[in-house]
Amino acid sequence: MPPDPPFRHAIEVAGLRKVYVSKRGTFRRTRVENVALDGIDLAIAQGELFGLLGPNGAGKTTTVKILTTLLLPTSGSARVLGRDVVTETGAVRRRIGFVFGGERGLYWRLSGYDNLRYFADLYLIPPQVSKRRIPELLATLGLAGREHDKVEGYSRGMKQRLHLARGLLNDPDVLFLDEPTIGLDPVGARDLRLLVRGLADDGKTIFLTTHYMFEADAICDRVAVIKKGQIVAQGTPGSIKQRVGEIGVVEFEVDALAPEGLDRLRALPGVSSVVTAERELALRVTIHCAQPPDVMTQLGKLLDGVTLHRVSSREATLEDAYVDLVGESS
Amino acid sequence: MRALMRAAWSAFEMSLRLRVVNPWTYLNWLVFPVIFAATGLFMLSSSGIDRVAYGVLGGGIIGFWSVAYLDGGNAIQDERWQGTLEQIFAVPAPLLVIVIGKIVSSVLLGLLAFIPTVALAYFGFHAVLPALDPLRFAVSLGVLTFSFFIISVALTPLFAVWRWAFTVLNGLELAVYGLCGFMFPVSQLPGWLQPVSYVLSPTWATRALYASASPSPNAGIAGWWLVALGLSVAYLALSVLLYRYVDVRARVTGELALA
Repeated sequence: MPPDPPFRHAIEVAGLRKVYVSKRGTFRRTRVENVALDGIDLAIAQGELFGLLGPNGAGKTTTVKILTTLLLPTSGSARVLGRDVVTETGAVRRRIGFVFGGERGLYWRLSGYDNLRYFADLYLIPPQVSKRRIPELLATLGLAGREHDKVEGYSRGMKQRLHLARGLLNDPDVLFLDEPTIGLDPVGARDLRLLVRGLADDGKTIFLTTHYMFEADAICDRVAVIKKGQIVAQGTPGSIKQRVGEIGVVEFEVDALAPEGLDRLRALPGVSSVVTAERELALRVTIHCAQPPDVMTQLGKLLDGVTLHRVSSREATLEDAYVDLVGESS
Repeated sequence: MRALMRAAWSAFEMSLRLRVVNPWTYLNWLVFPVIFAATGLFMLSSSGIDRVAYGVLGGGIIGFWSVAYLDGGNAIQDERWQGTLEQIFAVPAPLLVIVIGKIVSSVLLGLLAFIPTVALAYFGFHAVLPALDPLRFAVSLGVLTFSFFIISVALTPLFAVWRWAFTVLNGLELAVYGLCGFMFPVSQLPGWLQPVSYVLSPTWATRALYASASPSPNAGIAGWWLVALGLSVAYLALSVLLYRYVDVRARVTGELALA
């Protein structure tokens, strides 16, 4: 294989855009365009653990699939280790690993060992190397002793660790992890985060997508927040938090609240977002705003006739910073 | 090159192991061919030695075709449902190498379809093929196997890129029974349909197979082998273009994943 061309960043993305085209209707077919990525730019250094954060449908998975050569961009460019992901797919595929979240993506009727051996052959890894590397990975990822059990008998955490082992089979320089902790219990998720951080400390470049702000904050060197296909913030987790550091939070609970009431809250000066969450017997409303005292004094007037419970004011957390950036309302 | 051959072998081995534990495989090579063979033998056992060959071998050819062609496509559908289709698409080994490994396992399993059908003919109907020329029969079966293998390799990428392809090609599986003369001679088809049969390589391989098992003059058998092989090579050339197209198409639409 020819040597890598010189490159400044392990991952370089410029003006990346992806538009999915689909057809709607049964007899009268109409063409529908869905913009998944709308011109994003990223530059990720070698050995960096980079997190891409965003809500569902923001464009995280599309970004990963383009960078792992599974999708073609509509326009823009993307290079991994100096190689173009569109035209140099073979060279890129040899040097990267990827792990998609969830339980699928494994042969459940075969053992964990057989899954790894199969993929080692598809990655064109010499048998003498795979015979050494597979037991090493199984031991590192805590699967030793269960490797000859069928995957269908594995817990979700074990399946996710097997995914990670598969992603590391070719000892990749760049590892892509698409929501790797989704569905894992807190202990399993923490263990996986520690493993990922350890890989980055060993010099691997890691591109992680997640919608858990605390996860990115715990392990990432830098993060970008993506919303509707556009990067809305980029920097260290600390700098992202500082951007919303001036914002406070007002929270209260109500039995019910009409959409007009929420609209009146959103129209208040200094309010950046209003988020609702269903509780067992109440609706919890979270308001991100510049001046919590001002908002609190106006609540009674704006929501006349609505009984408010547990009204409180507090400083913004990491989760609030993320919600404020993506402007999510649920 | 050795690494690619190892990848193909691994795909073959994996595919075989997954099929062995899949009940659908047994329906295709064991149950369905016997049903077809029994029907053919009931209808043809008193029609003369030329026609009995269609009863004895027809069910086996149908089973062979079903496993080689449909199971190959089904294997790709299974990969999609398991979420592994994207994984095997994004490995350094070319998709063609993986598909070849999978189809070889289909073809070998498909050949097993002749065992129950020939056994049924012999033990159930006392039907034998006394005029069978073993050498010509073996070569014809080899040509038929190559023909099925190439068609499966060529069409499998369609299953990867279009989810509806499996439904359409499932229907074509039945059409091929008639068009390629699996259970009756192509000459029985309407004249306007016969040209379609002649561009399908299994037609010529099947014709050679039946000729090698019947007492009728079969001077043209070598020519039929060559036509079947020539058409297969042409399909292979077209499939190279198809694989290139599928590689781009799959990456444009993202059809490899379920969601």
